[in-house]
Amino acid sequence: MSVVTEVTTDKDTATGSDRTSSWAALRSGRGLVGAVLVGLVVLAGLLAPILAPFAPDQQIPGAALQAPSGDHLLGTDSVGRDVLSRTLYGIRIDLLVIFLAVPAGAAIGSILGLVATRYHWLDTAMQRSFDLILAFPTIILAIALTMVIGPGVWTIATVIILAEVPVFGRLTRTAVLTVRQSPYVEAARAIGADEGWILRRHVLPNCLEPLTVQLALAMSVGVFIEGAMSFLGLGVVPPTPSLGSLIKEGTQNAYHSPFFVVGPLTVVLVLVLGLLLISQALAARSRQR
Amino acid sequence: MTALLTIRGLNIDFGGTRPAVDDISLDVDRGEVVALVGESGSGKSMTARAVLGLLPDSATATGSILLDGTELLGASERELDAVRGTKVSLIFQEPQSALNPVRRIGWQIREALRAHTRISKSEARARAIELLEQVEIPDPQRRVDYYPHQLSGGQKQRVAIALALAGEPDLLIADEPTTALDVTVQAEILTLLDRIRARTGMGILLITHNMGVVAQHADRVVVLRAGEIVETGSTHTVFDAPTHPYTRDLLAAVPRLPDHPEPVVVPDTAAKADTDVVLRFEDVSVTYPATRGNPAFRAVESVDLTVRRGEVLGLVGESGSGKTTLGRVAAGLVAATEGTVLIEGRDLSAIDARELRALRRDVAVVQQDPATSLDPRLTIGASIREPLDVHKIGSPAERRTRVAELLEAVRLPAAFADRLPHQLSGGQRQRVALARALALRPRLIIADEPTSALDVSVQAEVLELFAQIQSELGFACVFISHDLAVVHQVADRVMVLRAGRVVETGPVGEVFTAPRDPYTRALVEAVPDPDPSRRPLEVAGLEPAGV
Repeated sequence: MSVVTEVTTDKDTATGSDRTSSWAALRSGRGLVGAVLVGLVVLAGLLAPILAPFAPDQQIPGAALQAPSGDHLLGTDSVGRDVLSRTLYGIRIDLLVIFLAVPAGAAIGSILGLVATRYHWLDTAMQRSFDLILAFPTIILAIALTMVIGPGVWTIATVIILAEVPVFGRLTRTAVLTVRQSPYVEAARAIGADEGWILRRHVLPNCLEPLTVQLALAMSVGVFIEGAMSFLGLGVVPPTPSLGSLIKEGTQNAYHSPFFVVGPLTVVLVLVLGLLLISQALAARSRQR
Repeated sequence: MTALLTIRGLNIDFGGTRPAVDDISLDVDRGEVVALVGESGSGKSMTARAVLGLLPDSATATGSILLDGTELLGASERELDAVRGTKVSLIFQEPQSALNPVRRIGWQIREALRAHTRISKSEARARAIELLEQVEIPDPQRRVDYYPHQLSGGQKQRVAIALALAGEPDLLIADEPTTALDVTVQAEILTLLDRIRARTGMGILLITHNMGVVAQHADRVVVLRAGEIVETGSTHTVFDAPTHPYTRDLLAAVPRLPDHPEPVVVPDTAAKADTDVVLRFEDVSVTYPATRGNPAFRAVESVDLTVRRGEVLGLVGESGSGKTTLGRVAAGLVAATEGTVLIEGRDLSAIDARELRALRRDVAVVQQDPATSLDPRLTIGASIREPLDVHKIGSPAERRTRVAELLEAVRLPAAFADRLPHQLSGGQRQRVALARALALRPRLIIADEPTSALDVSVQAEVLELFAQIQSELGFACVFISHDLAVVHQVADRVMVLRAGRVVETGPVGEVFTAPRDPYTRALVEAVPDPDPSRRPLEVAGLEPAGV
C-alpha cells in the first residue's frame, strides 16, 4: 500500500450497513435465489416419502419406459419404476453428500491446515501429502478406491473427503498464516494476548469467511462427484436410486425414453446452480469488506 | 504564446453523487513547474490520468485538454499512443511498479526508445547510458545491465524518470514522485527534476500533498479540494496571502521546523531520580536471524536510550535506521539480541512470563496504518475493549463504561462503539487505535508513525488530540517518525538514528535548529521548507516562467 492512502477527510463517513453476519448475503440478490433453489431441492428430498406417489423400488408391471403421463409425471424406467419417485428419493444421497461428506472433508482439511502452521516440519509433510492427492484426477482416485473397497455410498463419501481435504487444508493454512501476520494480530500480542486468545478471537473468525465461500463451492463439486461416480457405476449400487445413477439410466435409455433423463438432470442443475450462486454471493460480500 | 498544456472545464464522473473532478481549468507552460495540490480524494491523480487518456473505463470525462494545440480528451488510442512518451510522460509514486522486475534496466529503456523511434540495439544502448547519466545514476555503463532489485528506491525512481525522458517529452507529469522515498532522497530527486527542467525547458505538472515540496519547487500552485479548484496563483502569492479558507487551513496544518534556535525549556524535574525512568535501553542490539536466502541483519547496534515519566522521545531516521525495530523491542514484540531493556526498572530478560504479561499492561502501541491495525470483524467497541478483556479487568458493565469514556477522550461519538472499522475514516480509525492504547492507562505509549498515513489536515487534528491527551494523562511516549516537523511538534527530546546507530540526541529545539552531527544537518536541510521565500539560491536563479 502506498503512503498516500485513500482516506477521506474526517467527517462521519458511515457507509453501508452494520451487518456483521455473512448470512446476510443470502437475504437478497444472488444469495437469495441460490438459497431458495437449494432449499427447494432439499425440501423435496426430505419430504420424499410424502411427495413421492410410489415407492422408489416399486415395479409396476407392464409400465416399462413410459413417457411422462398423468400417473407418472416423469415417466417410468426400464423395469417399470416411477422416475419421479426415484428422483425424489435419489436426492437424499446427494443430501448426504452435501451435508455430511463435504463438511467432514472441510473440517478435517481445515484442522490439518491449522495444525500445520504450528510446526514447520509438519507443514512441509502435509503440503507434500496434499500435493500427492491433488496430483490425481478425482475420477482416478474414485476408480482406484472403488477397486479397493467396492462401490457404494461410503466410497463416494471417502472420495469426496479425500478430494476436499487438500483444498481446505491449503486454504486454511494460507488464511491462518496471512492473518497471523496482520498488524491487528500484532496489536493483540502487544496488548499481552496469548496465542489461544489470538487464535479464538482474531485468526479463526477472519479465516472463516474464505472457508465458507469454499464450502458452498465444494458442495457443488460434491454433487458432481456423486453424479460422475454413480454414472460410471462406481457409486451407489442398484437398486438404490441416486441422481447420478438415474442420469446414467436415462442416457442408456435415451432412444426409447428421451424424457427420462430430464427430471434428474434438472434437479442436479438446480442444486449445483443454487450452490454456486450462494458461493458467489458469499464471495462478493467478503470482497466488500 | 499558447501554453503547453491547457485544461478547460474538465469534468470526470464515475456515476456517483458527486463528480470526481468538477470543472477544472489550468495551464502549464514550457519550463514551468505547476503544482497540483490536494488531499486524498481531491481528484489530482484523476486529472493527471485524464491528460494521458488513462482513465478507467467507468469514467466519463468532458471538457477540453489541449497539449500544444492537440485535443487529447476523446482522442483515439492511436492518437494518444503517438503522444504518450513523446510529448507527455508520467512518473508514478511507487518506482517499483514502474519497472519490470524480470528485465534489466537497459532493456526497459531500450523498449521505451523503440516504442517511438526506429533505433538499432547498439544505438539504443548508448542512448540508455546517456539517459542514465542525465538522471545522475553513478557508473551508468555498469548499471545499465542491472535488474531493478539491485537498485535502491531513489535509484529506481531515477530510472523511472529516465524512462519518462526517453521520448524527450515536452511535458512531464509527476504523480507524487517522492512520497515513497526518504527525505534526503526526495530532495535529490526534486533537485534533479529542477535541473532537467532548466536544461530541456520541459514543463512539469507536479502532483503532491506535501506543501514543503510545493514551496521549494513549484512556480505556480493549483489547490484542489473534492474535485474543485479552490485557489490558484504563483507559489509566493498563495503561500504568503492565501485567499480561500481551505488553503489557509491547509497551510496552517502543515507542521514546520523552526528556523532559529528556540530557548530550551529545562524540565522542572530537577531531581532526575531513577524511579522516574519508564524505559531504558542499555547497549541494546538487535540482529534478525538469517532466513533462507537472506543473511542475518543487524537492525540496531548498541543503542542507549532513556525515557522518563511524562516525556515524549522522538525517534527519527530514514528507512533502515532501526527506529521501528527499537519501538518493537520496547513493545515487547521483538527481543533484544544483546543489551538490557528495562521497563520501569525491571529487566525484561530477568522476569517470568506472568510478570511480563503484567508489564505489558503498562506499555501500549499505536501502529501506523489505520486500515489494518484494527480487526475488521470486531466492532470498534470490542477492539477498544480488548485490552480490558485480555487482562480481565472489571465487570462487563464497567468495561462498557470505560469504552464510552475512552471514545469521549478521543472525541468520537459514543455510537461508534457499534460500528465496524470499514465504516470509519482513516483519521477516526487512528483515534480508535489511540483509545485502545489508553484503555489500560499505560505508563508508556509506543507510537510508530501514527500519522504518516493520514492527510495533512487530519494529521494536524490527531496530533493536537494526542498532545492534549499526553499532557492530561502524563504518559511517557516514544514517538517514531520519519517526518522531522511532526516530531518537532510533539516531542520533548529527539534521537536521530542512522543504519541502526544513534547519531545524535538532545532537546528537540536544539537538535533541529543547531544539529551537531553532519548527518542530522543533512536530514534537517533535506526537509522541504513550506516557505517559498526561502528557496536555495541555486534553484531560485532558474527562470520561473509563470510568475
